[in-house]
Amino acid sequence: MDIIIWIATNVFGEAAILLGFIVLLGLVLQKKSASQTVSGTFKAIIGFLIISAGSGVIVNALTVFEPLWKEVFNLSAEPLGEFMGQEGFNAKYGSAVTLAMTLGFVINVILARFTKLKYIYLTGHMMFWTTTIFAGVVVQAAGDISFSKLVIFLSIFMGLYWTIQPALTQPFMRKITGNDNIALGHTSASVALLGALAGKVLGNKDNDSEKIKLPKGLEFLRDSNVITALTMGLLFLVGAIIISFKDTPGAQELIAAAGDKNFIIYAIIQSFTFAAGIAVVLLGVRMFIGEMVPAFKGIATKIVPGAKPALDSPIVFPYAPNAVILGFLGAFVGALIWLVVLGNTVGYVFVPTMIVLFFHAATAGVFGNATGGVRGALMAGFITSTVVAWGQFIMVKMLLSDTIPDTAMWAADSDMFLLGPIIRFLSQLFF
Amino acid sequence: MKILTVCGLGQGTSLILKMNVEQALGDMGIRADVEHTDVSTASSMNADYIITSNELAESLQGHKAKIVIVNNYFDMDEINEAVKANIEAS
Repeated sequence: MDIIIWIATNVFGEAAILLGFIVLLGLVLQKKSASQTVSGTFKAIIGFLIISAGSGVIVNALTVFEPLWKEVFNLSAEPLGEFMGQEGFNAKYGSAVTLAMTLGFVINVILARFTKLKYIYLTGHMMFWTTTIFAGVVVQAAGDISFSKLVIFLSIFMGLYWTIQPALTQPFMRKITGNDNIALGHTSASVALLGALAGKVLGNKDNDSEKIKLPKGLEFLRDSNVITALTMGLLFLVGAIIISFKDTPGAQELIAAAGDKNFIIYAIIQSFTFAAGIAVVLLGVRMFIGEMVPAFKGIATKIVPGAKPALDSPIVFPYAPNAVILGFLGAFVGALIWLVVLGNTVGYVFVPTMIVLFFHAATAGVFGNATGGVRGALMAGFITSTVVAWGQFIMVKMLLSDTIPDTAMWAADSDMFLLGPIIRFLSQLFF
Repeated sequence: MKILTVCGLGQGTSLILKMNVEQALGDMGIRADVEHTDVSTASSMNADYIITSNELAESLQGHKAKIVIVNNYFDMDEINEAVKANIEAS
């Protein structure tokens, strides 16, 4: 009995170690060399620990961004309140998330083996974030839930989602790619479908976005680090300039936080810090997902004959590069509108994370273009920012305010926002 | 030999490309260390080869590594051809 408890606390209770074992198993199954196995396992463990470090950096920048814009909109400065945060959440529930992600994949493979839905979900980083956010919703709704209940519930839900989602988008994927070999496995599925629908109803299919020539100057949009820093920089800058002209106690307090530094320079540094934090977290995710996904793929292709990989959203980008930019433009305009509208109506400071907006809006843009041309792509982008802005508000304020609202502000997105309330309802029903 | 596969975010598609490139190299009997990453990180990393798309290759110009272009990360024929034409076993 002592041994079981020891293992439960030190292996299953320590997410980084559990992940290390899962990756180790994967590498052994792939028959990798000893040196590759050691380095892969170590990288997985280090990667997981890097995520917490980066989360801290993001939260620090967000704790300046939020009061800054609250002051701009003259909202009563009610801070986010007490919450666990990604770092604390990982320490307590990270193992459950890691295990649920692995078992969810197993369920996905089994369903693919025995049903007509032959899709294997391979977008590893989204598997991780979706499971994390949903775990946050369950813990918020059900309180201190037991490890096994959390794992069982999440793995079944994730397994179903990862099998069904690619099947729902596949009819349009066939249209976009012209074949039936690859599927979309990404949390932008809902806005992609809404975009395609809007394009069909209100768009003009004949006006294909690929007929227009786009300026070369937009190439920097491909680099997620640059675009995040650029947009957050603009928002911080605008906010800081407005604050500099204000004389309220709140504005004075914010300016005092900059110390000897000029407040505008301080604000710009915060925006770059935010982008840096995201880069750190993504480095961490990359380090363990890069070891995990090849193992998953190896297992799946052995077990499921005729399996179709469901892959990350950029797979659709080459089929309509202009629609990618149009979708993003629609979303960017929408995000700015919603920033102002949300601030003035419900008093929520929307954090328009460009990674989420870009990848989702671009995917939706390609789907919107397939049914509705240029107008379809632009509308799909606007729909994306609408779902992301209002979804973030509902998620942060209602569905996981005590657990990981910090993560929801930059890593939660379309499908999660639409499925979040369902997760909450189910957890209240079962637990 | 060190090879980088690069996409915009360095998370998903570059990983798929990495797996496909590893398979192509394996078929040709070339041993290499392949890593996937985003375009900003790649520009400051040491490598012998960088495999990426046409658009991203432009922002990697001037890099010490030889840049190999693959436009469809899922097309094994294109990847095999690109690897065969550009990468030599060392």
